[in-house]
Amino acid sequence: MAAARRHKSVAAAQPGFLPFKSSLDGNSSAIKRRKRVNKNKKKSWNKFSDIQDVEEFLDDVRLQERATGGLISEKTDESLFFVDTGITVEKDTKDTQAETTVKKGKHSKPLRIDLILQPDSRIPAPKNVLAFQQPNAKKQRRISERAAKLAATGVLPRREKLLQLRRAAAASGVSVKEHPVANNNPERAFYDLWNAGTPETADPYYLEQTKKKLVKRPERLNEKPSVLPAIEVIAPGGSYNPDFFSHQDLLREAHEVEVKKQKAEEKLARQLAVNEDKATEESTFKEQVEGLIDEEEIEPQETEGDTEDTVIGPTATEEKKTEKQRKKEKAKRIKELQRKAERQMIHKQQQLFQLRSIHASVKKQEQRTKMRQAQRKAQQETQKSMPRRLGRLKFQTPDLDVQLSNELASSLRSLKPEGSILKDRFKSLQKRNIIEPRERAKFKRKHKLKYSEKRAFREIE
Amino acid sequence: MGGLQKKKYESGAVTNYVSRNKARKKLSLSLADFRRLCILKGIYPHEPKHKKKVNKGSTAPRTFYLLKDIRFLLHEPIVGKFREYKIFVRKLRKAYGKAEWSGVERMKENKPVYKLDHIIKERYPTFIDAVRDVDDALSMCFLFSTFARTGKCHVQTIQLCRRLGVEWMNYIIASRSLRKVFLSIKGIYYQAEVLGQTITWILPYQFAHDHPTDVDYRVMATFTELYTTLLGFVNFRLYQTVNLVYPPKLDGQGEFNLKSESEEDYALESESYSEKLSALSASLARTVPLAEDEEAELDHFPAEGEDLEKMESREKIELEQNKQKKLFEGLKFFLNREVPRESLAFVIRCFGGQVSWDKSLCIGSTYDETDETITHHIVDRPSIDKQYINRYYIQPQWVYDCVNGKILLPVEEYFLGVTLPPHLSPFVEESEGDYVPPEKLKLLALQRGEKPQAEYDEEEEEEDEDDEEEDDQSEDEDEAEDEANLAKMEGKRAQGKSLSVKVTPGKAKPENRMRAEQEEKAEEKRLAIMMMKKKEKYLYDKIMFGKKRHVREANKLAAKRKAHDDGNKADKKKKKKKKC
Repeated sequence: MAAARRHKSVAAAQPGFLPFKSSLDGNSSAIKRRKRVNKNKKKSWNKFSDIQDVEEFLDDVRLQERATGGLISEKTDESLFFVDTGITVEKDTKDTQAETTVKKGKHSKPLRIDLILQPDSRIPAPKNVLAFQQPNAKKQRRISERAAKLAATGVLPRREKLLQLRRAAAASGVSVKEHPVANNNPERAFYDLWNAGTPETADPYYLEQTKKKLVKRPERLNEKPSVLPAIEVIAPGGSYNPDFFSHQDLLREAHEVEVKKQKAEEKLARQLAVNEDKATEESTFKEQVEGLIDEEEIEPQETEGDTEDTVIGPTATEEKKTEKQRKKEKAKRIKELQRKAERQMIHKQQQLFQLRSIHASVKKQEQRTKMRQAQRKAQQETQKSMPRRLGRLKFQTPDLDVQLSNELASSLRSLKPEGSILKDRFKSLQKRNIIEPRERAKFKRKHKLKYSEKRAFREIE
Repeated sequence: MGGLQKKKYESGAVTNYVSRNKARKKLSLSLADFRRLCILKGIYPHEPKHKKKVNKGSTAPRTFYLLKDIRFLLHEPIVGKFREYKIFVRKLRKAYGKAEWSGVERMKENKPVYKLDHIIKERYPTFIDAVRDVDDALSMCFLFSTFARTGKCHVQTIQLCRRLGVEWMNYIIASRSLRKVFLSIKGIYYQAEVLGQTITWILPYQFAHDHPTDVDYRVMATFTELYTTLLGFVNFRLYQTVNLVYPPKLDGQGEFNLKSESEEDYALESESYSEKLSALSASLARTVPLAEDEEAELDHFPAEGEDLEKMESREKIELEQNKQKKLFEGLKFFLNREVPRESLAFVIRCFGGQVSWDKSLCIGSTYDETDETITHHIVDRPSIDKQYINRYYIQPQWVYDCVNGKILLPVEEYFLGVTLPPHLSPFVEESEGDYVPPEKLKLLALQRGEKPQAEYDEEEEEEDEDDEEEDDQSEDEDEAEDEANLAKMEGKRAQGKSLSVKVTPGKAKPENRMRAEQEEKAEEKRLAIMMMKKKEKYLYDKIMFGKKRHVREANKLAAKRKAHDDGNKADKKKKKKKKC
């Protein structure tokens, strides 16, 4: 490019150069007085050097190139001029042109939008170098060379191998491995899971390390967390056409539950009620005699005790013990010990005579421990069938499903089912300690709602 | 003395437990995924004995897991799949946001899936373990199969549940292992005996759904995911045990019969087969053709540690069961359109009956209403216009009561428009001395082979029972009288009065051997009671008192019932008189 530009500038400097625009012709631009500026900085150079003439010239060169495909000064005379010999030829050509346009009709006429988009420059667009350049050509060449070398020795890349395998499978009619089927696909296939497959022959250590063998499930996990059955059958009173008495039994049970609930509610209400002070006879009387009787003043007596406890910690004022005192103390200690030992001996001897009562007490104690053990065991047994406290919430026993006597259906057709089995199953899972009781998370708004009037709807004032 | 000071909550119970949040973090799963994993693997939360110690001094209620369980979970390959799925969802959401539809397609094609087969194998090491635990799975599958396809759960899950439920019902029909049915206000309870295991499940009534809001659907869906896999494998194995083809195929000739023109009205071509299977009216194809009446009587030998008596009772039970299995054999039922078709078809077919319904009601009907050989027509409306002479028109409860009673009950009480006898629960087993409703007594009498009686007969029976009790009492009284006599005589002797001794010609007492035997037994019992230690005697008295109280209560209830019935009767009579 630089070379071309130089070339152009050289051409322009020559006396025969013809500028394309007439305005450029001659020294039309008045010579202004040069402004004196320091040009010791790049910025000032850029700002104050006058390059307009050069720019104009270059623009003209570009225009010439675009319009004619080269500089006019370099063109041959034949390409620029022709000898005018007559009008007829032109007419002919015009006629033929008109005919052809008529013949072609509307359809052949290009759209104006296309015409606008048509490049009007005579210079061909520069080639996109990147489009023809191969990135990493050297690297790829090396890779291909290596692959060819390996292929010669018979080693194929993985992709190639897989392709060949697939081709072979297709040729032999075996279906290619499909996508794994989703768990809940209604058409999924089942097989005999529990038949004894071929025993593993590989090294167990290898299998373990490669995670092909799963970790053994501990036995403890196969125990059920509750002894309750999976399906608890409803009481006989829950039949759609129940026996009178069993139905009454069920109703009574439900009634008792309801009564208990109500009692608890009432108790709560009672406890929460505002304790209003109602004036009794006594209180009104007291009020009336207020101030008439001299009340004995009770003096606070708390202040007296404070003065005594001023010393904190032991005082170091005690004098050192003398040798004599020490010896005396030691003798006293030994004597005490001896006395104790003696008493113990005597006690032991005495126990010989108490053998019977001791025996009785031991027996009693044993009995008691046995009883307690039994009790504890029984309690543990009952605990096994109870829902445990597994989380923040306690298990709430669901309401009994009951139909009142007047709700009972006269026939199977008119039966209205009571309760939901889905809920029943869910509660059963909770009751059996399989899942912890939870409540639905409450929706909490993060940001406050903001109200604004829309233009379309305005409050009527 | 020396050593480091022990810190609190660093040893003991704390080290065995881990809180839910800690466990979740250890597995680096979201809470939903963690919950799902626990359900699939059968890891349940645990309540520690000393909560405060485990909770590091805090008394805030918290969910705890055993640390060893969580360590075990760390090895689970599905955990990786969960993480993969999480990434998948994230990528998919991004692609959606960018509207890269081809990318979405590609991702959806490569959606990560996981299998639960190894978990089933791990949780149920033997087939029998799985069968024992199939109650829950069945109830859940049947429940989900009745859901509307409204987006509460995947449509595919519903379809799979339906398929498995139908497979199970077909197996029960083929193996004739249904034992009890109970129509409750909640749903229908079924009980079957499969490979020696008693299996109970509950089925909701059709179209009885309101979706409760306090149920976590995600948790239930996870359970269903596990249970469908379990039930699928169990079904496969069960089909093998009775030589049925799996996946179930209709029997060849049955299929031929079923081909009718109106088939397209019910289902698409692709679905019609499964619909026909779920109609339950045709039998299934077997891998080994069933040779009829080839069951030779096997010789029974008493197992070790089992005496002859036990074996006999077992044989008796077996015989009874075989009889029950063929309860409806040879009977031909027709279901009117207002009765619960699926339940009735299932029950009837389980006991060898033939069943059909109106062609416009459902696919798979085998014969028309006009068929002359139909023996029972099940109707649930007060009256019907066109009646055939040679068949009974009965209400659906008859079928269920027959199944529970193990005999064909008299149809009179179940005719159209008749007030039905109560539908008793077959799941209650009365122990001795309990109150037994008179309907059940009647049923028991029928089972014993006694003739069906009119109402007053039944009352008489009750009276008979009362008489028996009275007899017992009178015996006791007799004994007391004897003793009194003896005492009197002795008293007289002590007073020194001469007794009037006379020799009279002896009368040959007709020796009643039975009576003598009974007396002897009673005497023995009395002596045994006399010989009891004080402590044992006390206990014995207590037990006897309890029993007597029980009987008294039962008697009271029976009397009440009688009074109730009498009252009802009187009312009826009055009404009749008024009408007159």
